[in-house]
Amino acid sequence: MSILRFQGVTKIYRQGQVEVPALRGLDLSIQAGEFTALVGPSGSGKTTALNMAGALDIPTSGTVSLEGTDLAGLSKRALSHLRRDRIGFVFQAYNLIPVLTAYENAESVLALQGVALADRRQRVMALLDELGLAGMEDRRPDQLSGGQQQRVAIARAIASKPAIVLADEPTANVDSETSQRLLGLMQKLNEERGVTFLFSTHDDRVLAYARRVVKLVDGAVAEDSAA
Amino acid sequence: MRLISMAWRNVWRNSRRSMVTIAAMAFALWVMINYMGLVDGMIVGMEHDAVDLEVGDLQVVAQGYRDDPALDLVITDEGALLQGIDALGYQAAPRLLGGGLAAVDHDSAGVRLVGIDVARDARVTSIASRLNSGQWLDPDRPHDVVLGKRLARTLDAHVDDQLLVLSQGADGSIANDLYTIAGIMGGVGDAIDRSTVFMTAGAFRELMVLPQGVHQVTVRVPAGTDLDLAAARVTALDSGQAEHAIDVQTWRQILPTLATMLDSTRGLMGVVAFIVYIAIAILILNAMLMAVFERIRELGVMKAIGYGPLTVFGLILAESAMQTLVATGLGLVLALPSMWYLQNVGIDTGVLGGMSMMGMSFIHRWTGLYSVRGVQEPVFILWFMVGAAVLYPALKAARIRPIQAMRYQ
Repeated sequence: MSILRFQGVTKIYRQGQVEVPALRGLDLSIQAGEFTALVGPSGSGKTTALNMAGALDIPTSGTVSLEGTDLAGLSKRALSHLRRDRIGFVFQAYNLIPVLTAYENAESVLALQGVALADRRQRVMALLDELGLAGMEDRRPDQLSGGQQQRVAIARAIASKPAIVLADEPTANVDSETSQRLLGLMQKLNEERGVTFLFSTHDDRVLAYARRVVKLVDGAVAEDSAA
Repeated sequence: MRLISMAWRNVWRNSRRSMVTIAAMAFALWVMINYMGLVDGMIVGMEHDAVDLEVGDLQVVAQGYRDDPALDLVITDEGALLQGIDALGYQAAPRLLGGGLAAVDHDSAGVRLVGIDVARDARVTSIASRLNSGQWLDPDRPHDVVLGKRLARTLDAHVDDQLLVLSQGADGSIANDLYTIAGIMGGVGDAIDRSTVFMTAGAFRELMVLPQGVHQVTVRVPAGTDLDLAAARVTALDSGQAEHAIDVQTWRQILPTLATMLDSTRGLMGVVAFIVYIAIAILILNAMLMAVFERIRELGVMKAIGYGPLTVFGLILAESAMQTLVATGLGLVLALPSMWYLQNVGIDTGVLGGMSMMGMSFIHRWTGLYSVRGVQEPVFILWFMVGAAVLYPALKAARIRPIQAMRYQ
C-alpha cells in the first residue's frame, strides 16, 4: 500500500530574479513499512522532497499525496492536523523544545492530540525505555548528549504512531558510533513496530541499514534500488 | 496546562530581560498608583478647601448682590431662610460683609470685613482650624477680630495689637471702632489672606449700623448630594415676601475656573498615565519581539510537529501575561507602603510658601487619596497596554511558516 506518493512534482524557488529548480518532475512512491533512504549530492532535492512529504511546503506543480489525500487540497488547519496526527519528524539538529524535559518533548504531540494523561504516560515511558532513555525523562535537552537528544526526537516522532516518519539527515550531527546506534534503533523500530521511515542522508554508512535507497540527482530520481 | 508551564519556563529563559521587563512594569504601576492617589488627593483637598474654608457648597445672597455688593442689599428674612435650610437637612451660616480701612499704629490697608455667627459658622466651615496664632472669635469677646495672614504682615500686626477700623455705616454715618487682634490666620486663599478681617456678627452690626439682614448664607449639604438639586431646593424656600429675592449658586458657579481646573486635572492624569504606559508598551513590544525572533526556529519546529497557530499565539500571550502578573503583584506590594505613607503622612507643601492656585491657597499637606478605583485603573490600563503591545509579536509567532522558520539562522 502506497503511503506517500510524488507524481510529477516540481519545485522552483525564486532567488531574486533567478529561478532555482529544486525538484524536476519527481515521481516516487513509498509503501507502508518501508525503510527508505533518499541519497544524493548537496542540492539534489532531498530536503525539498522531505518538506513536501511533511506538508511543510507545496509543490510548484505535480501532486504529493499522503495516504491517498492530495496535500495541495488541504487547508492550513488541516495540514497542521495532518502533520500532528500522521507524520513524525526527526530533524538534523534534533530541534527539541528546550524548556521541556525529555519526557515532555516525547509526549508533546500526544498532548496536542488530546490523549489522556495516563495513556500517554504509559506509552511515552515505554518508548523512552525502549530507546534506552530510562532515567533521563526529567532531563532537559541541554542535559542530554546529541545522540540522546536525537533518540528523544525519534520518541517524539513515533509516539503518536504516525503513518510515516520523515528524518532529515538524522545522523549528521552525531559521531559515527552514535550514528550506528541511531540507525540500528530506527531499523529495529521499522522491523518490530512496522514504522515507515523516509530519511535523507549523504552518509554512506547509512546505506547499509536502508532497505531501499533512492538516489536523487538534480531534483529527479536517478536510481531506485526497489526498481 | 502544558502551555502555561511552557510559558512560565520560557519567561525565565532570558531571566535578565524578563527581570528588566517585570521591573519596568512594576515601577510604572507603582508610579501610576501613587500618582493617581496624589492627584485625587490634591483634587479632593482643593475642592474640600474651596468648599470648607470659604465658599460652602452653596451660597445664598440677595438678588443683585453679586453684581453690586452694597451694604444695604441684604437678605432680610434670614431667620425664615435659615430655618428652611435646616429643615432640608442642610447646614447654614449667615455672614455679613463690608469694606473699610484698618490701621495698626502707622500702617493701614483697605480691608474686607466679615461678620460671622460663630456658632453656626463652625458647622459649615473649618476656617477656625486655619488659625496660625492666637485664638478664634468668641461671641463673649465682641471686640476681638482675626486677620488674614498677609493683611497682618501688611499692617505689621500681631496678636493682642489694637486694630482701628474705619468705614461708612449703613445709615451713612462714619463707622469706627477699636478692636483687639485675637488671632492671625494661616494661608487660606488670596481674598482672606490679603484683606479679610473676621469679627463677630454682633460687632459687625454695631460697627456698620446694620441691625437686620445678612449679606450671605453659606450652605453645606451632605456628601453626595446633587448640588444643582440642592440649589433648586434652597431657591424654592424664597417666600417672595421679602424685599429682595434670593440668588443661590453652587461653588462650581462661584469658582468656575477652579472647578474647570480640577476637572481638567483628572483628564491630565489620564494623559500622563497614557504616556507612561505607552513607554512600557514599547518596552514590552521590544522584549516580546526579541523573544519571538530569537526562538523563530523553535516556533517553526513547534508548528511543524503540529502546534496550531492559536496555540503558539496563546503561548506568547501567556508569557506576557505571566510577566505582567508578577509585575502587578510586585507593583502592588511596592505601592502598599508608599500608599500608606502618602495617605497618612503626606507631603509637606510648606516649602511652597503659601502658594495659591485659582485664588485658593495650595493645600498645606498634600496627602494621597486611595480607593479601589485608584488601584484598579492603573492595573487595568497596564494589562490593556501590555495586551495591545504583545498582539503584534504573538500574531507574528502564530503566522510563522515552519519551512521558513526552520531555515532561519
